[in-house]
Amino acid sequence: MPAFDLQSFLEQFLYDPANPLLFNNGFFVCFFSIFICLYYYFRNNFKARRYIFCFFSLYFFYKASGYFVGLVIVSAVVDFYLSNAIYKQQNKRIKQLLLLASIVFNLGMLFYFKYTNFFISLSGDLFHTNFNPLNILLPIGISFYTFENLSYTIDVYRGEFEPARKFSDYLLFLSFFPKLVMGPIVRANDFIPQINKPYTLSDKDFTKGFYLIISGMFKKLIISDYLTLNFVNYIFDDPSRYTGMENLFAVYGYAIVIYCDFSGYSDVALGIARWLGFSIPANFLSPYQSKNITEFWRRWHISLSSWLRDYLYIPLGGNRKGTIATYIFAVVIFAGTFVAANLVLKLSYFTSGAITAALLLLFILPALLEKNKKGIATNLNLLIVMLLGGFWHGANWNFIFWGGLHGIALVVHKLWKLLTGKNLTQIKIRWWYKAIMIFITFHFICFTWIFFKSSDFTNAAAMIHQILYNFKFDVWAGFYNNYKAVLAMMLFAGLLHAVPDNYADKILGSFTKVPVIAYVTVFFLFVFLYGFFKSAEPVMPIYLQF
Amino acid sequence: MDSKRKVLLFVVSSFILYLLISLFSYVLGIDWAPLKRINLLSDIVKETPIKSKDTLANAPLIVVAAKPDYNINFYQLPHFITNFNTDTTQPSLTGFSQKLHDLKTRKKRKVRIAYFGDSMIEGDLLTQTIRKLLQKEFGGSGVGFVPVTSMVSQFRQTVNTSASEGWSNDNFKTPGKKNKLFLSGYLFHSQGDWVEMRDQTITDSVALIEKSLLCGYSAEPVTVKINNNPVALKPVKIFNRIVTSTDLGRSIRLSIADTSLPVYGISFESESGITVDNFSFRGITGIEYGYLDSAFLSKIAEANPYDLIVFQYGVNLLFRPNDKNFNWYGRVFEQVTKKFRSCFPTADFVIVSTADRAFRYQGEYKSAIGIDSLIKLQAAVAYQTGSCFYNQFETMGGHNSIVDWASRKPSLANKDYVHPNHRGAEILGQYFFEAIMDDYRKYVTTKH
Repeated sequence: MPAFDLQSFLEQFLYDPANPLLFNNGFFVCFFSIFICLYYYFRNNFKARRYIFCFFSLYFFYKASGYFVGLVIVSAVVDFYLSNAIYKQQNKRIKQLLLLASIVFNLGMLFYFKYTNFFISLSGDLFHTNFNPLNILLPIGISFYTFENLSYTIDVYRGEFEPARKFSDYLLFLSFFPKLVMGPIVRANDFIPQINKPYTLSDKDFTKGFYLIISGMFKKLIISDYLTLNFVNYIFDDPSRYTGMENLFAVYGYAIVIYCDFSGYSDVALGIARWLGFSIPANFLSPYQSKNITEFWRRWHISLSSWLRDYLYIPLGGNRKGTIATYIFAVVIFAGTFVAANLVLKLSYFTSGAITAALLLLFILPALLEKNKKGIATNLNLLIVMLLGGFWHGANWNFIFWGGLHGIALVVHKLWKLLTGKNLTQIKIRWWYKAIMIFITFHFICFTWIFFKSSDFTNAAAMIHQILYNFKFDVWAGFYNNYKAVLAMMLFAGLLHAVPDNYADKILGSFTKVPVIAYVTVFFLFVFLYGFFKSAEPVMPIYLQF
Repeated sequence: MDSKRKVLLFVVSSFILYLLISLFSYVLGIDWAPLKRINLLSDIVKETPIKSKDTLANAPLIVVAAKPDYNINFYQLPHFITNFNTDTTQPSLTGFSQKLHDLKTRKKRKVRIAYFGDSMIEGDLLTQTIRKLLQKEFGGSGVGFVPVTSMVSQFRQTVNTSASEGWSNDNFKTPGKKNKLFLSGYLFHSQGDWVEMRDQTITDSVALIEKSLLCGYSAEPVTVKINNNPVALKPVKIFNRIVTSTDLGRSIRLSIADTSLPVYGISFESESGITVDNFSFRGITGIEYGYLDSAFLSKIAEANPYDLIVFQYGVNLLFRPNDKNFNWYGRVFEQVTKKFRSCFPTADFVIVSTADRAFRYQGEYKSAIGIDSLIKLQAAVAYQTGSCFYNQFETMGGHNSIVDWASRKPSLANKDYVHPNHRGAEILGQYFFEAIMDDYRKYVTTKH
């Protein structure tokens, strides 16, 4: 007979590194239920409500990452005081120094935890320094909350809004638990004013919140987890063992996985926030429906791309001018390209030079066509933003390369627009033109995902080699037989993604009068479906070729 | 209703209902996997493990005859090649160690090893390490046998192969007769094709490398082009090993116009020292070698003799998470081993157990539950056929070691929880080499 285990029960309240808190833990169900009861009970007492919210958020953080919760508190304290000091300070120079302090503090923290080992190994490769990598764990969510801190102090410096008066306001903004692990990156001027507002919720908010939570969990916990474990992971881990067909589908699979994982988490965060009376802008808008790469970046991880636009692209000069930083970065990038082609890819000086020159030409060409000198700086700024944006995703050359590919693609798209200009206006509205463009854009993005996901360039190259030279159409029957369930899941995810953006909203509008019991039923259907997929017989790799 | 109350009502009623479902599933003892997987209380409830109803798991293994001075339980020891003899001061690989000692005492001779395996050794993984270390210790050069083409020839580090597109092949998995497939499990036919290979393992720049063509029977003399020079061959035996050149060259280009000649591959070896042939065939369990005729095997042994034969299989039996009984396999594999032992009388034999392999059980990766009974069975085959045994599973760390290897940074195994990667394979190769050396040292101490 099963028995209640007191010790395990008590241990549930402590951080367990093997089992950090996520939305799919049983503990989260209890945590959230208690939180909702308290939040509802104190809904009209703003102060109590705020403190409860802070406490639960910090506790969530503790359960997700242990004592790293201290970093959030410390960075909240530092930025709260710095922002107020910046606001009150009249002397422009001191104001600048205070801002600089905030930037150094936040980027320093991010740099230490995320990039130290990368630069240690880089210095080892370049200068043979032989420093040992340090044993640094990456605190959960640090990439997100340091960016939130930065946007906040910069906005205060720019005089765009008054800093938070109460520390608890700021702490809550930073630690707000739904968005803690994977974003979105929330802006203080959007969020803080909502903290001390009366709790109001429309029927539409309820329905939409429910939809976001359930569909987000479905995307993340069912589609993404299933495809990752039953297909994508093992193919990406050793692509040379599998045929080109399996590799190509693994790339498609990963495109689905990363979208479902990332946007699913964002959606849950947005849904929970919605239910608590907070509105956070959408983070993903069916990105694979994009007809070009520029549109993709308006639909993919919007909170990051708009952050990079406001706090990196524009200070660099944006589309107006180049700054000193632009040119310093540009020299580093083009010199880096040359060195990488020569040393890493072992190409001759001539070929490396030709590649670098071609890249440089690509960035100059649109400006030459437009007869607009500023265009060069704009393109360089774009490339810099994409490279650093890539680097933000992880301390690895793969991510930088991924960002670089996107930067180049943005410029190529610009060039395409300039070259085709108004000649294609008649064709551009045709459905087949759009379909072709969506197809090309999607495949380019998939191509870049190979580098994003592969553990190193060797694996990425092996994968591309298999797809190009070892595709083997004749393995289809065996492939289909073994991976039926995986393919069905991918097809389902694809169809879900193809639904037009406003369709869900239209349908939801007609659900506002549905009784709560119906929602409860849908929730349990989801839970059992989740249980079903979690306990499903795993799909194993097989050999299709001998 | 006010929507705020709706949120509260939804959350509270779902939570209570969820709790009740979880509680009742324990009280009523519902054993339904999806429900167990989502049970809210699973972390705070201790379940008494249910005794296995699986009687097959306890079914007797193939009969293990008791022999005086032999103990089958030695199979459990890691880092140890055992012939099950209770006197562990004696070497297990007597004949092989003596041949190694000949090399050590500067006698000119070849010592040849055939290492058979599945995808675990594909691309020369594991064997490349063993070869490198043994050649360093006892001398010898060359990568050994290389098939005309293979699935992984693009990725194999120890030899560069390029071949024209037309080669057709028969193998263990194609329909048709399989009795004349080579030890690699393949037989190639040219359609006027060529293949070019370059041995990448040779570090000794003055080593003379003997390059041989391994092929089957042809009634008529066959003219092939070797490095673009026509050479007339008379492959009159059912298995032929034809030395094409012995010189400083590390590469060979072979063009064959004849479409009927069965071609197996090319061997690179030095005139004296260690040769390690990698015979990998993905997806098999070793019983496929039952297809090969005894007479054909004996002819291979004559022209291409071995001093040590290693069989490393098992992981492909573990393709379903809940299998525990492999007795049928033991019986067939025992016959195959016996056949090889009688066809290769001068070789010592080692059966290497499967390495660890994990499946997801209730959301967590763990060693296959049948792995212990499989390894015991593999040991029983070794014991019964007078072969030696090496426990790769215990050597790599025993239960759940593949999970640990896959999670390390940098990882030592793939996320399919089956294959150690090149880093992991290098460690396994190193371990096996050390086990051979331990055995060799016993030979040296006891015989001198």
